[in-house]
Amino acid sequence: MKPEIQRVFSFYFFLKKKSSRSKMFFLLSSASILLALIIRFYQLAGQWTESGQIIFQNILMVFFLQFLIVILALFYGTSIVSEEVEGKTLPYLSSRPLSRASIIIGKYLSSLAVTSIMLVSTLLISYFILNLDRDFQLQDIWTIVRYALVLLLGLAAYLSFFTFLSTWLARPILLGLVFGFGWENVIQYFPGTTQKLSIVHYLKSLLPQYSSASGRLSFLFIRLEPTADWLAVLILVLISVVFLALAALLFTFKEYLVQD
Amino acid sequence: MTAVIEARNLSRWYGNVLGISDLNLEINQGITALLGPNGAGKSTFMKIITGQLKTNIGEARIFGEKVWNNRHIFRRLGFCPEDDAFYEELSGFEFLAGLLSLYGFSSLECEQKARQALDLVELTDVADRKVRSYSRGMRQRIKIAQAIAHDPEVLILDEPLNGLDPLSKRRIIKLIKEFKNSGKTIVVSSHILPEVEALTSEIILIHQGKIIARGDIYFIRDLIDTHPHMIRVKSPQFRQLAQTLAGEDYVLKMAFEPLEQAVVFETHDRDRFFNRLNEMVLTSPIIIDEITSPDDNLQAVFDYLVGK
Repeated sequence: MKPEIQRVFSFYFFLKKKSSRSKMFFLLSSASILLALIIRFYQLAGQWTESGQIIFQNILMVFFLQFLIVILALFYGTSIVSEEVEGKTLPYLSSRPLSRASIIIGKYLSSLAVTSIMLVSTLLISYFILNLDRDFQLQDIWTIVRYALVLLLGLAAYLSFFTFLSTWLARPILLGLVFGFGWENVIQYFPGTTQKLSIVHYLKSLLPQYSSASGRLSFLFIRLEPTADWLAVLILVLISVVFLALAALLFTFKEYLVQD
Repeated sequence: MTAVIEARNLSRWYGNVLGISDLNLEINQGITALLGPNGAGKSTFMKIITGQLKTNIGEARIFGEKVWNNRHIFRRLGFCPEDDAFYEELSGFEFLAGLLSLYGFSSLECEQKARQALDLVELTDVADRKVRSYSRGMRQRIKIAQAIAHDPEVLILDEPLNGLDPLSKRRIIKLIKEFKNSGKTIVVSSHILPEVEALTSEIILIHQGKIIARGDIYFIRDLIDTHPHMIRVKSPQFRQLAQTLAGEDYVLKMAFEPLEQAVVFETHDRDRFFNRLNEMVLTSPIIIDEITSPDDNLQAVFDYLVGK
């Protein structure tokens, strides 16, 4: 990592760790743990018969994939520039010996690191709570690692897109909401190539348990025409890199007015 | 010798609103004050020379180098913005050390420099308190501390005395003067003449985006003294007071405010007017409740100078 990026990363990672926003989102992420505990309680009471693995996959689909990574990326990504402009703290950054691109990349990476910690920690804890009685095999470890990697890829791609919106628009949150919870939810049910115009399509293509329509949430996959794994990974990485590069480029040449 | 800060034909608009227009300026070592009413273009100029804003026309240079998108210049420059904005969740020490880390100093250097800066602005006692709990004076001082902590050669301070109590003002004025004595270049903006007078004698008057005068404080004072002053005197015997002063040649106009029991005088010689008023207070039975100057502000002076 370039030293300038590393400096911005370290400062903002420290800042984000201390921020009340991070505490709030950590609590929100922990909702999956609470849910897992409640379900576990019903399982022990014999009122929930589905296996922990299946329940976890449902939580993964509904909570982590369709909600948590989008909301984390939305709030952290869209605030990368706007929080500095609205909070009038941008001059503290832009009067330091840092390239403008390094400010964006460093802030992006610090947001990715903080949100990844929230995501992975709650994902793992929820998984283990729901599968406590399971005799863990190597395959299970690979499954949960794969889930985590898919979610991290999704988080990186969404965060990159929302970072771009943040450098482009003065009020990026509205467009971000429309994209994250409107477009992404609707377009994936369209047949043919249209569904490939969403990030969530590539994430679903990478989830092993859902390559065919089965289980309680099969309706979410009814029209999925999966993309090959290698291509899905490539496209997600490309989305992350391209939008981050665009954001860095835009921030380098655009002027941001801190209103008096 | 090349000037430390140079502005050539600098112009900047915000849509249809003029920020600064065709500004040419050279600033050398020492303290230079930009004096002008709110909206005069002082902040726009400061934002341009600190790389916060682009110019529409012209260019700004520091040490002969362009400022916009030139990150290397910021090692030699410290900027204290006007806005009362901070990373509120950090302590004063964390705020300074964090910003210092962006220069690439080691953790130890960041800590040492942050402690030194806190010491200079007399905030060592509250270093570990969150910035959000600081008083206005403390916030202003920590803002100055972040500008000086890396020991820059040029210091740009946008309204550093704004909203401070007299004690805090004195502390900051002392600090800025110490900085000047160590051979640095300092540019300070203000809209209050006495504040500027306490800092420096090198003043640039800026109004509606243009420089309307530049010189030492005596030259500016002379300009201002030619401006007719309004003085409002409140007294139960306001008519008698007016009658007494009507014969004085330096009284140009009078207007009565019977409901307020006051009379407003216009004079072109404020010193003689006040001397006479003091004399009356001591020698005659006229009671004076209040003396105010409705136009004793820079806006009125600037309007007068521009109108002239």
